[in-house]
Amino acid sequence: MLFQLQGVTKTYGTVTALRDLSVEVPEGAIGLLGPNGAGKTTMIRTLLGLISIDAGAGQVLGMDIRRRRLDIRQAVGFAPEDECLFPAVVGIEFVAFAGELVGMRPKDAMQRAHEVLDYVGLGEARYRKVETYSTGMKQRLKLAAAIVHDPRLLIVDEPTNGMDPAGRDELLELARDLARNKGMSLLFSSHLLPDVEAVCDHVIVLGAGRLLASGRIQELKQLHKRQYEVRVKADRERFALQLSAAGLAAEPRDDVLIVDLPDGRGPSVFWEAALAAGAQIRYMRPRQSTLEEVFLKALSEQR
Amino acid sequence: MPIFDQGYQHWHGTLTGHTWRWLAIAHQGVRTQWQKKATKRVLVVAMFPALVLALLLAGWGLFEQQSALLEPFLFLIQGLPAELKAGPRSFRVPIWTILFNNFLYIEVIFSMLLVLIVGPDLISQDLRFNALPLYLSRPVRRVDYFLGKLGVIAVYLAAVTIVPIVLAYGAGVCFSLDYHVLEQTIWVLLGSVAYGVILVVSAGTLMLAFSSLSKNTRLVGGLWLGVWFIGNIAAGVLAGMVRADWCPLVSYVENLGRIREVLLDTKSAWEPIARIFPSRRFAENAYSSEFPWQWSAAVLAVLFGISICILSLRIRSLDRLR
Repeated sequence: MLFQLQGVTKTYGTVTALRDLSVEVPEGAIGLLGPNGAGKTTMIRTLLGLISIDAGAGQVLGMDIRRRRLDIRQAVGFAPEDECLFPAVVGIEFVAFAGELVGMRPKDAMQRAHEVLDYVGLGEARYRKVETYSTGMKQRLKLAAAIVHDPRLLIVDEPTNGMDPAGRDELLELARDLARNKGMSLLFSSHLLPDVEAVCDHVIVLGAGRLLASGRIQELKQLHKRQYEVRVKADRERFALQLSAAGLAAEPRDDVLIVDLPDGRGPSVFWEAALAAGAQIRYMRPRQSTLEEVFLKALSEQR
Repeated sequence: MPIFDQGYQHWHGTLTGHTWRWLAIAHQGVRTQWQKKATKRVLVVAMFPALVLALLLAGWGLFEQQSALLEPFLFLIQGLPAELKAGPRSFRVPIWTILFNNFLYIEVIFSMLLVLIVGPDLISQDLRFNALPLYLSRPVRRVDYFLGKLGVIAVYLAAVTIVPIVLAYGAGVCFSLDYHVLEQTIWVLLGSVAYGVILVVSAGTLMLAFSSLSKNTRLVGGLWLGVWFIGNIAAGVLAGMVRADWCPLVSYVENLGRIREVLLDTKSAWEPIARIFPSRRFAENAYSSEFPWQWSAAVLAVLFGISICILSLRIRSLDRLR
């Protein structure tokens, strides 16, 4: 088990940030989703032992979140959302210092800093003052500082904020590589669903401090057995008209048609309509929910 | 397939415990401040009084032994009172005390300068660049952060107070060639070191508190200069107008000085000197009334308490809503 929380409640004055939150998460790449104010950052701070919870209990990597706060922070790498820097240092010193703060010896930290800066693609900028880095470079720098001690769990909070599309893709690729190829568990907090879907295989959805959904993304993305995605070569409009004539509702979406199959009708109706329309079916499969639909459904059920 | 994966490599080293985590912060801060030219210059200049102290202690040791090495300097010794020339060892403790006291009196200027150069950046820049989440999301407590930052000031202040004191004391002991010197003068050493520690803690926490008040380093430096100069000027003006015992209390440096005098017991040291040197200045040092040292201790304690309160308010944990 990567981490588990049992009945965790956290309030800040009159604001309840986490409300009786219970969740168990296996090792792997976990996405943490939720609208603003859902409690994502509070949950991360709870896991890191940065805040005192009002009620409940929990473990991270088998360590109690109340009693072994410093041990947890030593075992976990964290890249915060905010723009934050150690001032007056160059990139290599920044990462090495981050390593020393978790308990690496200075020589080890410096050697390792060179390795991780190469890994995140900042090798050329390692001797530049960090204040001169671009937003994308700062995000990579924070990632490098978080993985310098090779943590078992890496927590990244909104890592692609403010990044251009190319930089975002590269950062997601790094996160994916760490989680899938390097055996590092990942908690990836973001409000950008495509980012989470690109990196993670599990997801936790929070809303108003409550757990709304949790599980493997593939399992949450429900298969609709009576709804098909169909792509045809040739005239899609004509094909859609044929389907309408056969009593099937077809809705164009991107390059496919989403077709509802009435009870008692099988997929053979698509072949018949294609034959009548003179079209070739190139792609056909039962539709699966998107992560966005899962997210919106979870939020609507909360309301 | 690559023979060697040049991407991410796992690290198999060991991590140290949490006890000395503040040391990493202090180490980093010392390195950063060392890059400033002003820091190096002040440290170099501050070494001259230390050198003079060591030379004087060594010279006194030779004088006690009536060493032939002092022959070229006989013209300096000839004017000394006969009592002193006949039995210099009986004046050892007063002379050592006065030498150490004067050294620390001069070094407080360099200490204030070093704090002015080294201190303002320490927390204000962390606030400016929002570095606190980076510290506190690692196994670093607020007290580790504070100790680490205080450690930076401590290293530089110790370099101009405690370290030269210990080295000069060692030189004095070596040149005295008398095993009684340790038991006679150990209190001078301990008093001087204790003063150095008080200076570090008091000036360090005060500067850290100032540094935590603003993201503007110049403003922090201005606050420090205000405490240093305006306090001294105010004490002088008040002394001229009110002529009360408490006037020096408004000066931070005067309060430190009063504590130094008590720790070294300089008043007792001046008495035998005033007896053999019938100078008015020496008599003033020996017999003039001083305000109670407890007042100065109370002022420094209050400043320390206020500094800690400011620090605990300004360096907040992450247990709050953004």
